[in-house]
Amino acid sequence: MPSSISLARLAWRNIWRNTRRTLLTLAGIVFGVFFAVLTTGLADATYGDMINYAAKMGVGHVSIEHEQFIEAPSLEHTVQIDEALQKATREDARVAHVSRRISGAVLVATADGNQGVSMMAIDPANEGEETLLFLDEISEGALFARAEDRTVTMGSALAQNLGVGLKNKVVVTATSKSGDIVTAMYRVSGLITTGAPSIDRGLIILPLAAAQDLLGYEPDEVTAAAVYLHDHRDADAVTQRLAGLTDAPSVAVDWKQSQPELASFISMKEVSGVIVQALVMVMLAAGIFNTIFVSVMERRHEFGVLRAIGFSPTELFRMVNWESFWIACAGLLASALLVTFPYLKIAESGLDYSKLIEPGMEVSGVAMDPIMSIGIYPVNLLIIIAVVFLGTMTAGLIPAWRASRTEPIEAIHR
Amino acid sequence: MHTPTIVRMSNVTRVYKQSSFEVRALDDLSLEVQSGEFTALTGPSGSGKTTALNLIGALDVPTSGTVFVDDKDLGQMSQHARSELRKRRIGFVFQAYNLIPVLTVFENAELVLRLQGVPSATRKERVMALLDDVGLSGLHGRRPNEISGGQQQRVAIVRAIASEPAVTLADEPTANLDSTTAEQLLDIMQKLNEERGVTFIFSTHDPRVMARAKRTIHLVDGRAQQASP
Ligand SMILES: Nc1ncnc2c1ncn2[C@@H]1O[C@H](COP(=O)(O)OP(=O)(O)OP(=O)(O)O)[C@@H](O)[C@H]1O
Ligand SMILES: [Mg+2]
Repeated sequence: MPSSISLARLAWRNIWRNTRRTLLTLAGIVFGVFFAVLTTGLADATYGDMINYAAKMGVGHVSIEHEQFIEAPSLEHTVQIDEALQKATREDARVAHVSRRISGAVLVATADGNQGVSMMAIDPANEGEETLLFLDEISEGALFARAEDRTVTMGSALAQNLGVGLKNKVVVTATSKSGDIVTAMYRVSGLITTGAPSIDRGLIILPLAAAQDLLGYEPDEVTAAAVYLHDHRDADAVTQRLAGLTDAPSVAVDWKQSQPELASFISMKEVSGVIVQALVMVMLAAGIFNTIFVSVMERRHEFGVLRAIGFSPTELFRMVNWESFWIACAGLLASALLVTFPYLKIAESGLDYSKLIEPGMEVSGVAMDPIMSIGIYPVNLLIIIAVVFLGTMTAGLIPAWRASRTEPIEAIHR
Repeated sequence: MHTPTIVRMSNVTRVYKQSSFEVRALDDLSLEVQSGEFTALTGPSGSGKTTALNLIGALDVPTSGTVFVDDKDLGQMSQHARSELRKRRIGFVFQAYNLIPVLTVFENAELVLRLQGVPSATRKERVMALLDDVGLSGLHGRRPNEISGGQQQRVAIVRAIASEPAVTLADEPTANLDSTTAEQLLDIMQKLNEERGVTFIFSTHDPRVMARAKRTIHLVDGRAQQASP
């Protein structure tokens, strides 16, 4: 028996018998890896950005809220989020921030008129641009400093419509928990200008304690705790964990439930991406199969000689397996050498596809950035490497089987 | 001195079935070859020389009759056992393209020994001595395409005999060589037969090659015509 080492060495030399053919095959693998890494990296980064962006528009990656809040987001559907629950949530290493909030619809009135708008009540101690993107877009004045303050921050276009500016008074009217109409007056501390009409024209931000006062809530009563994660892929796991910490009517919902439109957009895109990648991989495997198969058929006489002098069918099978193995290794090595630099280059600058989309295009309220970022998750890179490796080995199985079936009598034919 | 019988064919018939007709390549052939012989199979084209060598070499099985090599009935052996027999007891030299192009002269020559699991030091010692013997010293690192056709056949002979098989079969080993080179190859085979006792059975068309044989088996239409002792 030849040791595996010598079969491996024989196989290594065999793949270089037709250098041009082998190099073409390796080029195919490099192309396939580059394509897979680029498209996967684009998907990973883009969808990640969209999910994080959506989370920072208000609901977080996971949220603890009343079980009916998704269906009926009204100020009646409140939950108790006490200090213990917040602490237990923050203890999870995957959790970055926990923010208690009240969201609902209110009427804002001034001497000039009134308008129904969205209200969000927050505790500034627990918020920042990592939790709410628009807090970075305050164009005049400032956000109220404490949850107990009696000032509000609102969209600049809304303020203009109602004829108010900084320090002016507005009256907020809402339906309290007990169903009464309640009102309170606040001064304007800051104005927000984001460019997004839903915010600039339709949002008012209240201090959390002030809103609880107005609505007749208890101190720990809010409509939601928005939970922000370091990595959005942990949303499922964290949601499961939080489900164990909460009792009805409180439930933990992840961004997929609170943003079903975004979730289905992403999963649809992911499926079509995987289909395209699978097609490319199948074509690549067919090319590799062809290379190995042709090389086996060309060597029938030689395999006959080997069988005649004592090689077993298994040894021929293993030799061709080794050839696939070396092609896979050489292909992956070449990919590592040739793909890494262009990938890093593109990942650094992002892919500018502004010519392809209409300006201001949104998917469920999430603006599409014309510079697409690229950043592949390491686990997906490992999957690509494994798929290419196993695909190449698999493509070589039938040729290897064919080689093993060579009759020793082939040695006398030429 | 008693010389053991290495090959014994009894009433061997080999029929090739084609779709529309049958070819009786060997017809009730019986023959014996003793250890140490230097025997030529001769006969016109199509007379069954290759067929006979394939049967002796366990590359093929007879339609009827028996072939014994080393007292083993090839017809009763499994494919695996025939493969083992080829590896251990039979040396092969084909007409051409015997060598593995990606292996060096030395690696080609040691291949059967390696298959047999002979340790590297022994392989090296034995193969280098034989390469010397056949006039290939200094060429052990070359690839087959870097040496002449006659030299390639010598490497094939070294590969075949390095493991000291019971019999070495050579089907028209000189057919692709010019006459001078063919003579040189026969010189080497003869020397190995005389000095090392290598048993050769070879087929040939070439009268000058036939003339070197100690014994000639002449085939006509798959039957032995006469056997000179
Ligand atoms: N695989 C095969 N299928 C069908 N017929 C075959 C096959 N091999 C050989 N034959 C036929 O069997 C007969 C004997 O062939 P064989 O090759 O043994 O002759 P040979 O003496 O070696 O001839 P040559 O001197 O031309 O090499 C021929 O008629 C040949 O056509
Ligand atoms: Mg012949």
